[in-house]
Amino acid sequence: MFNELWFLIQKEFRLEWRQKTMLTGMLIYVISTVFICYMTFKRIIDVPTWNALFWIIMVFAAINAVARSFMQESRGIQLYYYTMVHPAAVILSKIIYNAALLISVALIHLLFYSLFLGNEIQDMTMFLIGLLLGSTGLAATLTLVSAIASRASNSPSLMAILSFPILIPLLMTIIRFSRNAIDGIDWVMNASYVYVLLALIGMVVTLSYLLFPYLWKD
Amino acid sequence: MQTKKLFSLLLVMILSTLPGFAQDQIEMADLMRSNGKIYVVVAVAATVMLGLIIYLISIDRKVSSIEKKLKK
Amino acid sequence: MKNIWWKAVCIILLMYTVTMGFLGDVPAMAILNESIRNLYFHVTMWFAMMILLMVNLYNSIKYLGDPVLRTDEIAEESSRMAMVLGILGLLTGMVWAKYTWGAWWVNDVQLNGAAGTMLVYAAYFILRNSIEDEQKRGRIAAVYSIFAFAMMIVFIIILPRMGDSLHPGKGGNPGFSSYDLDHRLRLVFYPAVIGWTLLGVWIMNIRLRIRTINKSLES
Repeated sequence: MFNELWFLIQKEFRLEWRQKTMLTGMLIYVISTVFICYMTFKRIIDVPTWNALFWIIMVFAAINAVARSFMQESRGIQLYYYTMVHPAAVILSKIIYNAALLISVALIHLLFYSLFLGNEIQDMTMFLIGLLLGSTGLAATLTLVSAIASRASNSPSLMAILSFPILIPLLMTIIRFSRNAIDGIDWVMNASYVYVLLALIGMVVTLSYLLFPYLWKD
Repeated sequence: MQTKKLFSLLLVMILSTLPGFAQDQIEMADLMRSNGKIYVVVAVAATVMLGLIIYLISIDRKVSSIEKKLKK
Repeated sequence: MKNIWWKAVCIILLMYTVTMGFLGDVPAMAILNESIRNLYFHVTMWFAMMILLMVNLYNSIKYLGDPVLRTDEIAEESSRMAMVLGILGLLTGMVWAKYTWGAWWVNDVQLNGAAGTMLVYAAYFILRNSIEDEQKRGRIAAVYSIFAFAMMIVFIIILPRMGDSLHPGKGGNPGFSSYDLDHRLRLVFYPAVIGWTLLGVWIMNIRLRIRTINKSLES
């Protein structure tokens, strides 16, 4: 199974490298959104607004990015995988690929966001850890939801409807965590959020591993 | 003089606790209960509840009768 | 009427709730005053909702193991009843909040958690409606429901303990336990939870039977 997983991850990255559609698409989306925000706000000094806007842009980018992960594959390819590999390998490879994609998008997003709208972050390491965990959490949650949505009907609106309510707990935790990072609050206070985030990610990955085989068979 | 000061201090202390005494008396619907009007509320609520339950029972029976008809 | 005994239990417990809920002794507390009695009518809605959502979870897991259509029907109807109870809980909560905290909606983790739960299950119904095939609908809905339930648990149980909440027992507020332990309240509260849950199960049961009738009429 690990060989299959490794092979599938390589395949995802190679495909991305060859086409470069996803990453460039996401970057254009993020940069243009940030630029629109810059033209409306100029500079955001208020920390809660800065933080909330950052994550809202991130969530929309993530939903757009991950929604395609199951839709771009044709029925034929999916059937081929079905006969060749373990279903858990498919979902895990997609989660890992999406996490990598979202982390890179998040970093570039942070770069442009702080360039245009100002940077008030006091504890940069903590914020980056939050960015890492948050992107991974978004990727893991949205990958399973996109699998569900692609099975139901291939409409992108269904993906948004299904994912927003499910993302709320993750978003609330990550927004509070990164706000504390911006305010430079001590690790002792903030560590519990890291545990919650790690537990959430662990839970989502386990659930994906357990539930995806049922979505798979048709 | 000393005793007078002490006395006034004591007085202030006692007076300051008085509002505390007043707060201990939390207002409940004791009046309603003492004049028996609370039973009116209970009667109304119980009637509403009973009415809804009787309606639910009648729906249940209707469904049962349709089920029986279908079996035939 | 079939299975008359639990329906009788339901009626007895509910009648007990509406009479003893008003007449029973309650501890006198500031701000809350007599409104502590809402414990029997508002808080019980959430408890009944949670129990019905657990019925949904159980049937969803069961359906994945053994796809029988009836199991999926029970899962759908239980979550539908849970939604009704949830809406009632939200509305009654708003009224109670207005008179204890001074606003119809306060920014409270518990309250937002409840609203988020309603959104999750609204999405669940939209998902169900978008799939035609019955077997497939059951399977995909079950997957979403299990996933959503896990997230919801995080939302309404773990998160409120981390932030400030106006609700008792959270964020430095005096716990319900200080008066929840009060046997006078418990004496009505637990029977009320069972009574309201049974009422939900009863309505659910009738809806399920109507579905069966409809199906046999179609065939």
